[in-house]
Amino acid sequence: MPDSDIVILGTGIHPFGRFDKTPEDLGVHAARQALGEAGLEWSDIQAAYLTRMYLPATSGARILRRLGSSDISIVDIEAACASGGAGLRQAVLAIRSGEVDTALVLGVEKMPRGFMDPSMIYADWQVRMGLSMNPAYWSMRARRHMHEFGTTEEQIARVAWKNHRNSVENPNAMYRKAFTMEQILASKPVCDPIRLLEICAPNDGAAAVVVTTARRARQLGGEPVAIEACAHTVARYSADFRCPADSMSATISNPGPTRVTSQKAYEQAGCGPDDIDCFEVQDTDAFCEIEICEQLGLCERGEGGPMAEEGHTEIGGRCPVNMSGGLISKGEPVGASHLGQVVEIVSQLRGRSGARQVEGARVGLAHVLGAGGNCAVTILAA
Amino acid sequence: MGDETAAGKLLPVNEGLVTGTDNEPRDVQLLGSKCDRCGEVSLGANAVCLNCGSDRITGIRLAPEGELWTYTVIRHRPPGGYLGPDPFEPFAIGLVELPDGIRVMAPLAGDVDSFEIGCRLRLEPWILQSRDGPAYRAFRFAAVAG
Repeated sequence: MPDSDIVILGTGIHPFGRFDKTPEDLGVHAARQALGEAGLEWSDIQAAYLTRMYLPATSGARILRRLGSSDISIVDIEAACASGGAGLRQAVLAIRSGEVDTALVLGVEKMPRGFMDPSMIYADWQVRMGLSMNPAYWSMRARRHMHEFGTTEEQIARVAWKNHRNSVENPNAMYRKAFTMEQILASKPVCDPIRLLEICAPNDGAAAVVVTTARRARQLGGEPVAIEACAHTVARYSADFRCPADSMSATISNPGPTRVTSQKAYEQAGCGPDDIDCFEVQDTDAFCEIEICEQLGLCERGEGGPMAEEGHTEIGGRCPVNMSGGLISKGEPVGASHLGQVVEIVSQLRGRSGARQVEGARVGLAHVLGAGGNCAVTILAA
Repeated sequence: MGDETAAGKLLPVNEGLVTGTDNEPRDVQLLGSKCDRCGEVSLGANAVCLNCGSDRITGIRLAPEGELWTYTVIRHRPPGGYLGPDPFEPFAIGLVELPDGIRVMAPLAGDVDSFEIGCRLRLEPWILQSRDGPAYRAFRFAAVAG
């Protein structure tokens, strides 16, 4: 793996959950923590990116002015569930350009309970006809996979079982409650075959990283973690039928966004899935994690179900996935979710994850995927 | 939610998506766009090909019958302005593969437990009445009899 010139020097997180706090409260908490860990002041930051989907325009400026006056570039970035990755990529590019050497990326979200507001991504006619429920799209992918590969409801439930169990040790997760396989399989179907204990909930949270050059990090000291890759893409035509798709080609099948984005990231990092010790991936629903493992190349197509069932994705398994508990147990504050994954990977690579530590983890990958086929993959190395 | 409304105007649920008139709501067909360059068929009347970007497009009507490619059952009332039955009844939606080379996302009429991948389905009109506003000429698929 080539030496990366850009590193994460500080991370911060406000726990994911539901709080009687403003976006400013959440964001300032995470940003201050990240600056503190990096040993820097707000005045040391030369560019800032606020990643969010549900907050209003200019949220970055509104939140970050609580840290003090500045005249730097502050930009809001939105790319659905991949917003955090798209923002981190902008920070990397700004530093690589030489214009700045230290940047802050802050993800903040505060979302209403229940199903997400469909008018943000669906056309009016889809809403009128009842085609505007996000979990329906995840469930249709699961149903097709079960048909093609024999994936079972037990294998899907096993992913939820693992992630809920992992979250018990994560103080930043929302639920932190282990469930038995029986409890998961007995929970109510939301959109068949996906059940209530197998999907994530929209919620509130914030996560932040301070990004700088390896050279500046050496001057400052601390515990830098290298950004080996940070890629973001939007799916090609008919590569995906994730929401809000109203149709798909039956003749063209382009590679899906996770495969395309992870290939870019593997090329940037000069490594492959076998070189990576731990993974945080999009698990908006338990089936999604199975499919993502296949598309990241952790197993062959169709083998994601057995891989989960045999325990290979558990902490201590061949390729641990969602050590943090994943979005299923943390909840998904959309604009903050990828940076939350990055915070977890950094903690793993520093060997500071306590009971959920992957022994000897040196390289980690974070992956998000959402509406419109927005996908981001970040690879970090100790 | 009858098959036809006696009075009032029936608007297409979306412009360029369905055929039919107020007088003949049963005449609903799906509109499509066939690219003269790459041959790809997309849903609705589109100005450019969603695959190759060409603006040489021929408007077509999609075949009314196809096979179920995948599906799910919606167990809770969808958020926003859903105009289906009130009180809510669980219903299925799915991707229906048509011989035109396209799979269309649509509600499925009938018993939610009656569907399986590969079953034959046929387009039918679905009239949606908004509470205080217009009625819409929409569509769904139902099992082919026999």
